[in-house]
Amino acid sequence: MADASLQGKLIEFKGASLAVMTAHVRETEAVRLADALHMMLGGMPDFFAGEPAVLDFAQLASTPDRVDWTAIISLLRRYQVQPIGVRNLPDYLHDGARRANLAILGPEGISAERPIAPPKPQTPPPPAPAEAAPAPQPAAAASTAPPSTMVVERPLRSGQQVYAKGGDLVLLAGMSPGSEVIADGCIHCYGPLRGRALAGARGDTSARIFSTNFGPELVSIAGVYRTFERGIPQAVAGRSAQVRLSGSDNLHTLEIMPLQND
Amino acid sequence: MARVIVVTSGKGGVGKTTTSASISTGLALRGYKTAVIDFDVGLRNLDLIMGCERRVVYDLINVVNGEANLHQALIKDKHCENLFILPASQTRDKDALTEEGVEKVLKELEHMGFDYVICDSPAGIERGAVMALTFADEAIVVSNPEVSSVRDSDRILGILQSKSRRAMEGREPVKEHLLVTRYAPKRVEDGEMLSYKDVQELLRVPLIGVIPESDDVLQASNQGTPAIHLKDSDVATAYQDVIARFLEEERPLRFVNYEKPGLLKRIFGGK
Repeated sequence: MADASLQGKLIEFKGASLAVMTAHVRETEAVRLADALHMMLGGMPDFFAGEPAVLDFAQLASTPDRVDWTAIISLLRRYQVQPIGVRNLPDYLHDGARRANLAILGPEGISAERPIAPPKPQTPPPPAPAEAAPAPQPAAAASTAPPSTMVVERPLRSGQQVYAKGGDLVLLAGMSPGSEVIADGCIHCYGPLRGRALAGARGDTSARIFSTNFGPELVSIAGVYRTFERGIPQAVAGRSAQVRLSGSDNLHTLEIMPLQND
Repeated sequence: MARVIVVTSGKGGVGKTTTSASISTGLALRGYKTAVIDFDVGLRNLDLIMGCERRVVYDLINVVNGEANLHQALIKDKHCENLFILPASQTRDKDALTEEGVEKVLKELEHMGFDYVICDSPAGIERGAVMALTFADEAIVVSNPEVSSVRDSDRILGILQSKSRRAMEGREPVKEHLLVTRYAPKRVEDGEMLSYKDVQELLRVPLIGVIPESDDVLQASNQGTPAIHLKDSDVATAYQDVIARFLEEERPLRFVNYEKPGLLKRIFGGK
């Protein structure tokens, strides 16, 4: 916000959520990558429109002795992908990546590996709408901290955003349209659920969303999301309901069902 | 202690200035020493509604910048003994407002023995609006019975919760009141407008009053008389009720139900 009320503070650090694309790279030979990209997107050089991407090397077919980062980066730039970092890269290649100004991210660097929704005809393909991007830190530190629950007592207003890091979120006075809540665990909303609710932001597929007055703009669990362009289903609109993931492995679907306590 | 009340809404044209003029006049008529400050720097209107536009010499920005003192800038209202107007500057923009400057003006008003300071907020959520609500103890959130106005009011309530001094310092939160204006009971009954109950349910803020839509408001503005002064007007009565409720007197809601015109009225016409 270029608000002059912030004058005096020339720099300010705030947590932010960032939707970022992951590019799974299985080959480091720039020429072969160029061929593959040309086959994939030949007619659409600006397909990615400046999207930032993390290059993930977990599925690398063979480990090369060295990588020509300059070639790979300029190749990606040609398709308007902005490579910002790498992860799951063998240690001995880190130096080269660093010299190419790429950030070295841990496996959890930009949120954990998570299932992506099975392609639905009317919904856009991944990247998922809001991925939590906590400051890069060792994954181990996060997992040893006890899960905590965040409680919000006042109504959450349009434009406000809350992120319950590492635990559940309880909203005691509901949330308005245009607000957004994100939790690594479950979301419990007493009162109207009207904005965007994203549970299991770091990939917990067992997270759920509960509400006593269901009517959100968007719900998401572990990146599997749903909007309500054609309205909220009759059975749950304005009533107690829960949202959870069903199915297993790579075939998750969102289930929205009424709760029996009406 | 001077109590600072911000009249705000997010959206423009919902009746903030009309409300500021009537609320400040109403409080002054009850005997409280009241000041009303126009924060809409660059688009000043309050002086017109209060009918003092020809008496503006110095303004809020002059005081903030130390070019004039508060005594010189405050304009005494032509109707009420206890009411003073601090106009906005028309030639400057909102960047001229500083937090320190506004705080200084409010402190000085307190020293001068004011009971209430009404801050008439500009529309939007930018600097002017934020400055108007920063030091508020109470907020009157003005909303019209339609969805975009309600959404904007919701947004401004969020800003009150995050940017007001009370919120930043973790003190008791700003006391919020909802005022629904330009209410047309017939259109509500026909389903063209949200009812005041819908608005309240959406915003979940205690209702302080409902002001009916009326041609009287336009007429009052053109005359430079706050609507609360109008004789035999629903709007004036509704604003008086708001003042009463603000001072914690009980008043039933009026002008919220549609009454079908009677037979005689239908035959002989009339408003």
